[in-house]
Amino acid sequence: MSRRHPFTLLALVAALTALAWILPAPAGGLGTAAAALALAAAAGPRRVLVPALVTAAPFWLFLLLLHDVPSTIAIGLRLTTMIASVVWVGALLPPGRLVEAMVAAGWGVTAAYLFAAALSAVPLLKARAQRIVDAQRCRGLSPRGGLGRRLRALRALALPLVLSVLHEVDERALALETRGFVPGARRTPLAPPRDGTGERAARWLLLVACGAALAWRIAWRG
Amino acid sequence: MAAVSAELRFGQVSFSYGTVPALRDVSFALAPGERAALLGRNGAGKSTLLRLVTGLLHPAAGKVSVGDWDTRGRAPESLARRVGSVFQHADQQLFARSLRDDVAFGPRALGLAAAEVARRVDGALAALELSAHAAEHPYDLPPAFRKLAALAGAFALEPAVLVLDEPTAGLDRPLRARVARALSERAAAGVVVLVATHDLAFAAEVLERGLVLDRGRLAWDAPLAALLTSSERLTPLGLAPPVGAALSAALDLPGRPVRERDVAHTLARVAAARGRV
Repeated sequence: MSRRHPFTLLALVAALTALAWILPAPAGGLGTAAAALALAAAAGPRRVLVPALVTAAPFWLFLLLLHDVPSTIAIGLRLTTMIASVVWVGALLPPGRLVEAMVAAGWGVTAAYLFAAALSAVPLLKARAQRIVDAQRCRGLSPRGGLGRRLRALRALALPLVLSVLHEVDERALALETRGFVPGARRTPLAPPRDGTGERAARWLLLVACGAALAWRIAWRG
Repeated sequence: MAAVSAELRFGQVSFSYGTVPALRDVSFALAPGERAALLGRNGAGKSTLLRLVTGLLHPAAGKVSVGDWDTRGRAPESLARRVGSVFQHADQQLFARSLRDDVAFGPRALGLAAAEVARRVDGALAALELSAHAAEHPYDLPPAFRKLAALAGAFALEPAVLVLDEPTAGLDRPLRARVARALSERAAAGVVVLVATHDLAFAAEVLERGLVLDRGRLAWDAPLAALLTSSERLTPLGLAPPVGAALSAALDLPGRPVRERDVAHTLARVAAARGRV
């Protein structure tokens, strides 16, 4: 799947999410959640499936506190579909490849960069946060203990992360400008992902499927 | 070299990241006041070794001791009472509103009394000539000064062992000299100084013992001067001698000095002896 065109992967995520909310619960949500979790499992049980399940778990807990069991199942399956498919595409799609696809498709380079920067920020922030945790622990900060202690520790961990990121935004903006990155500029895609007829057809098919499901749902309700 | 009163001791230490070995059977000991350079190519295991000293990593085999403490089973925040460290990107750890507050973070985290914290902070700032910037926000300082600020934070812990990863990266000559002076003072007070660096000119000025890692193994453990004046030994390890040491070796200067000042003095003496000055 990772060799598929980025737009195909995104279309699949969008279609699964749309269908999860369009199709009647709980069967519809069950089907889409099963599909999303199957994709995540195929991409790597530990690398993708487990993070998706761990992310979804608190939502199920909160839903159970707020709703009755049938509503929890209905909404929970839909949320699980969204979370699993987003985690799946995040693990499968390198931001640089998405930018190349967007630029090749005629998108503005600014929009493409913003989209990709948002996707690539997570692992970078995670690595930086780990460096800060390590450095502060080596200065004697204990991240364990009671709630008050943990909150005090959080300040020493979160503040440097935010400050250093804000500081880097300035430097990165300057670096981009000096390399000719200005709004409206046209960028040459060096290695645009291959977009075959079959994939384009598949994306249209997903769109049609979502439209049909929506029409059927409206008619069925009527 | 294995001093009985070693402050830092590695005993047959091995460590792997998953199935990739990073350190293999590394043994050495550093006595109080010793200044050692940790050298080697990128990926040789230098940073891993430093992280083992701080307790951020624990050996898969062997033992790392800081004084009479075995680092196994000790968290980094516990080892901070004995080990001060500055890693690369150290400026990213700064967060307080003033440099003084940030340097005070470590001693306060150790629960020291206010007067003791103030004494340590004043001392650390003075050692690195940062007292004039004490009230400034760390992010208002240039990046090189932020690096010094992180170093001051480690000094303020008043550790028995200081481990530094590339402390001179991005520093100009006067600031490097400032760091060199401060480290020499700490070593004179009995602190073990272990510096991972690619800056061999700095190492030649400040450090006395060379530990060279090559693909995770300790390939050299001997006086640094002997290493720096021997191209035959340096080249296979991916290292090149600093200018002063290269000159000293090329001219076969008496005593083979490696510090720039010593090389200059020796050259002057030799020239004077030959009646050219």
